[in-house]
Amino acid sequence: MLTTAVLGTGLLGLDLIERIQNSPTLTCGLVVGRTPGSRGLTQAAELGCTTATGGIDALLDTGHFDVVFDATNAFHHPEHSRKLADTGAVLVDLTPTSAGALIVPTVNGHQAATHRHIGLVSCGGQASIPILHALAQHYRPSYVEMVATAATASVGRASRLNLDEYVSTTQAAIGQFTGAEETKAILNISAARPAPPFRIAMTLVAADDVKQGPVGALVEAAEVAMQAVVPGYRVTSCTVTGTKVRVIVEVAATRSRIPVHAGNLEVISAAAIHAAEQHAATSIRKELAR
Amino acid sequence: MTKPTVIVHDPTLRDGQHAVRHQLDVKQIRSYAAAADTAGVPVVEIGHGNGLGASSHQVGHSRLSDDEMLATARQALPHSKMATLMLPGWATSKDLRNAVRHGVDVVRVAAHCTEATVTERHLDVIRELGAEAQGVLLMSHMATPEELAEQCALMVGYGAQAVCIFDSAGHYLPQDVTVRVAAITAAVDVPVAFHGHNNLGLAVANSIAAIEAGARVIDACARGFGAGAGNTQLEVLVAVLERLGHHTGIDLRLLADAAELAERTLMPAPPTIDSISLVSGLAGVFSGFKKPVLAAAEQTGVHAWDLFVELGRLRVTAGQEDMIPDAARELAAHGGLR
Repeated sequence: MLTTAVLGTGLLGLDLIERIQNSPTLTCGLVVGRTPGSRGLTQAAELGCTTATGGIDALLDTGHFDVVFDATNAFHHPEHSRKLADTGAVLVDLTPTSAGALIVPTVNGHQAATHRHIGLVSCGGQASIPILHALAQHYRPSYVEMVATAATASVGRASRLNLDEYVSTTQAAIGQFTGAEETKAILNISAARPAPPFRIAMTLVAADDVKQGPVGALVEAAEVAMQAVVPGYRVTSCTVTGTKVRVIVEVAATRSRIPVHAGNLEVISAAAIHAAEQHAATSIRKELAR
Repeated sequence: MTKPTVIVHDPTLRDGQHAVRHQLDVKQIRSYAAAADTAGVPVVEIGHGNGLGASSHQVGHSRLSDDEMLATARQALPHSKMATLMLPGWATSKDLRNAVRHGVDVVRVAAHCTEATVTERHLDVIRELGAEAQGVLLMSHMATPEELAEQCALMVGYGAQAVCIFDSAGHYLPQDVTVRVAAITAAVDVPVAFHGHNNLGLAVANSIAAIEAGARVIDACARGFGAGAGNTQLEVLVAVLERLGHHTGIDLRLLADAAELAERTLMPAPPTIDSISLVSGLAGVFSGFKKPVLAAAEQTGVHAWDLFVELGRLRVTAGQEDMIPDAARELAAHGGLR
């Protein structure tokens, strides 16, 4: 069992806690918030977690953690990373910072255990890279675009202040995973009612012609692989025109702590737990070998 | 009694881009900007139709880069202030720094009418850069007067030096504008701006209603050049303001020449209230959806009128162009065939 700590008590933090409690290889040692008596901290305590206020310093004072999940914001992440560097903790970054090794479960999830600072790109990155990467293995992309639309209630203050990092980190990650010369990432916030599911519209322009057949099979395989990590992940359309592939995905959340439209939170919290569990599996193997 | 001065803000070279798939070239931008400057238009807005950094498959790639558009316009605007627009999530602070380096005087940060909290960071960055920061609420008919007043107060708290409501869908009647602008002017102590669209033929009347309710900045485009049915027609607005006795500092005769030049050089034809624009105004859907809606209607065989009504029902907002083909397919599947 690996002992974990969660920094941040937004909806994302609460979903992480629940996933940790359901995990056979992770336990929740501490949940850290900022404001005493905040709704998130109260709920964390109700879930049976030890809680603290005072941010990263409170966490360091409490003791050692094998894994620390950072669900705060991109402004504070560098400080968290610096202060945790000497503790030996694995840092899983759910903020849109590009400092850690970028991990997307169905693409390079097996590499998570080899990194002690893991970056999860963004919700849009987690939802689009599995499909874009699969296509890029077969078609050399010259341009790749990702437009994510999240329901307003699922986008908290930290995310709203981190839109610049969201855009730049997602663009860079898409470039890294697809090799595209030019990438573009956009985030829309929808106020539509009822709140729509998280939606990602992807466009890949290939350097050479594309045929519908293999595209459909590649997209479907990537979709099926994703559904093992995120059950509410669904490709709603896939069209090919000349050298252009257009794929639309919707992600519905299937969790008890987050509303059904908050697929954006689900993709990234599922990825975080997946990465931590890879570390847990490695440490179990090491113990068995001893 | 002297009537208040009205600042006319001219987004012909930004909003007009929607009508020509963002294809304005250097010569077009240079000649219209120079003509507007000569006529004494105080503020001229430049950019891709969706603002800085918006060139994309989602809403269309622009012919020119932001750099090319801003550099060209700045040279042609020795007197007028140069403005631009940005949407958080589409453009970043890097784009803002770049725009200010090109000599932008006014930057508008735009958000859907209930999402003012996304403007906090960028309004602050613009103030730090020393440019004038304005906050914009898009699709403002989708919020109540009280909500709009609240959202505008938030933006002023973030540093906005003016707040603006866009009638992105051209859905307002004059009395809708009156209550909204009155609520906003009561809630904030910065100038209030109104940006109209002409889908129901009321853009000028709505702009006058806005001024009477306290707005001091009005957006208008030469020949109404803009998305869908077009914007408030600039030269008509200024003529009406003259008759009403509002000072604008604009030479109307020279402005009429600039509008002639705009018609001749910027657009295949001046915008008109065709049936598509009419239904988009009625349904309260973003005017910029006209071209993608027509394409999706054509592809699926549904009637464009029905598709607009459906998009209005779904409360789809600007920037969600990817929803259009899906909505068309849904409609086709449920027998919405013409």
